[in-house]
Amino acid sequence: MLLQCIKKLIAVAAIVVLHFSISGTTLAQPPGPELDRTIPTPRLNDGKIDFGGDGVWSLPYIRNFADRIVGGDENSAVPFLPWTEAMHEYNASNNVAYDPEGFCLPPGGPRSMATPYPAEIIQHRDRIIIIFEGGGHVWREIHMDGREHPDLETYVPSYFGHSVGHWENDTLVVDTVGYNEKTWLDFGGHMHSDQLHTIEYFTRTDKNTLHYEATIDDPGAYTEPWTIAWDINWSEGQELADYICQENNKYMIDLVDDFGNPFFESTPVAR
Amino acid sequence: MKTKFALYPIALFTAFSLTQAFAHHSFLAEFDPDSPIEIEGTVIKVEWTNPHTYFFIEVESEDGDFEEWALEMGSPNGLTRRGWRRDTLKVGDIVTVTGTAARDGRAKANAETVVLDTGQRLFAGTSRPDFVEDNN
Repeated sequence: MLLQCIKKLIAVAAIVVLHFSISGTTLAQPPGPELDRTIPTPRLNDGKIDFGGDGVWSLPYIRNFADRIVGGDENSAVPFLPWTEAMHEYNASNNVAYDPEGFCLPPGGPRSMATPYPAEIIQHRDRIIIIFEGGGHVWREIHMDGREHPDLETYVPSYFGHSVGHWENDTLVVDTVGYNEKTWLDFGGHMHSDQLHTIEYFTRTDKNTLHYEATIDDPGAYTEPWTIAWDINWSEGQELADYICQENNKYMIDLVDDFGNPFFESTPVAR
Repeated sequence: MKTKFALYPIALFTAFSLTQAFAHHSFLAEFDPDSPIEIEGTVIKVEWTNPHTYFFIEVESEDGDFEEWALEMGSPNGLTRRGWRRDTLKVGDIVTVTGTAARDGRAKANAETVVLDTGQRLFAGTSRPDFVEDNN
């Protein structure tokens, strides 16, 4: 009888722990059970890091990149140019109402690794493709065949830009240029110009951890490059699901501008 | 022991959560955190759509009039990972909803919890930035 009671108590305690650890009581930290950080990083037959497996990467919700700056001293701040500082203040003043991702446009750049839906990283011989469930069900392609970036004088800027990657030991380094100006760097309203150049570092430090770093180099928006970083958890056994953001975006339909007029005169989404 | 049994349904609807409730758009731009609501009504429609699942309830006022409320929840992928199924909420169900009212004054709110008339309490995948699940 005593043993049964103890077993029941342990079961209840496990559920409570599971609840708090998985559902999370704040939105600031990614949820998930306590993951074993000692399982070795999986590798492909050629010895390179394997970013895949039977699961997905559970991307965290990083709203404010200013909170994730690394590489400086404790007082490191976003090195704004006057226009990005003014726009950041304006975006905060209206509760980031005009965030492009709120219109179901892609997150672009490093924000795609901070939009909290799962992602898969698929490694082909000559390219790596990241499939994002969130951000409107999008993907990006990283060329691994040694090619150079195209001439930006003729390249049509795009949401994810043009990415080339290479390995530095066990770290995938991805260099991207050619971004358009239709995205924000983060949910909090840090903006960028079409001079944005990002250098991203992907390192699977153990089976359950993907360390991500990104240097934001944008002389059109910031006085100097700045670097942000966070860890991403592996979710064993999970799969990507359907997420077609633009299906029924009532927020977009109802949005008004600073003068109370409809923000969009017409919208292609279904009512 | 009552506590133990009260925990199971909560665990069921959170053990499957994979990602956090996500404000795909700005919660604070649309909803007023100073306007909490608690309303009871009958479900008249459920929309399993992206980027937010909606359900609509008919609420009877004190003078006997009926008002239709639109209630925003999380996205279908987020809700199903939290254990929601197609028949979790059905037309005709009588529910009590807590949440946050829209700033524009219309009968619209972001739902936080939905309590079925069976007593089952469901987390609605709210994207309210400071929301903390009440597990009691």
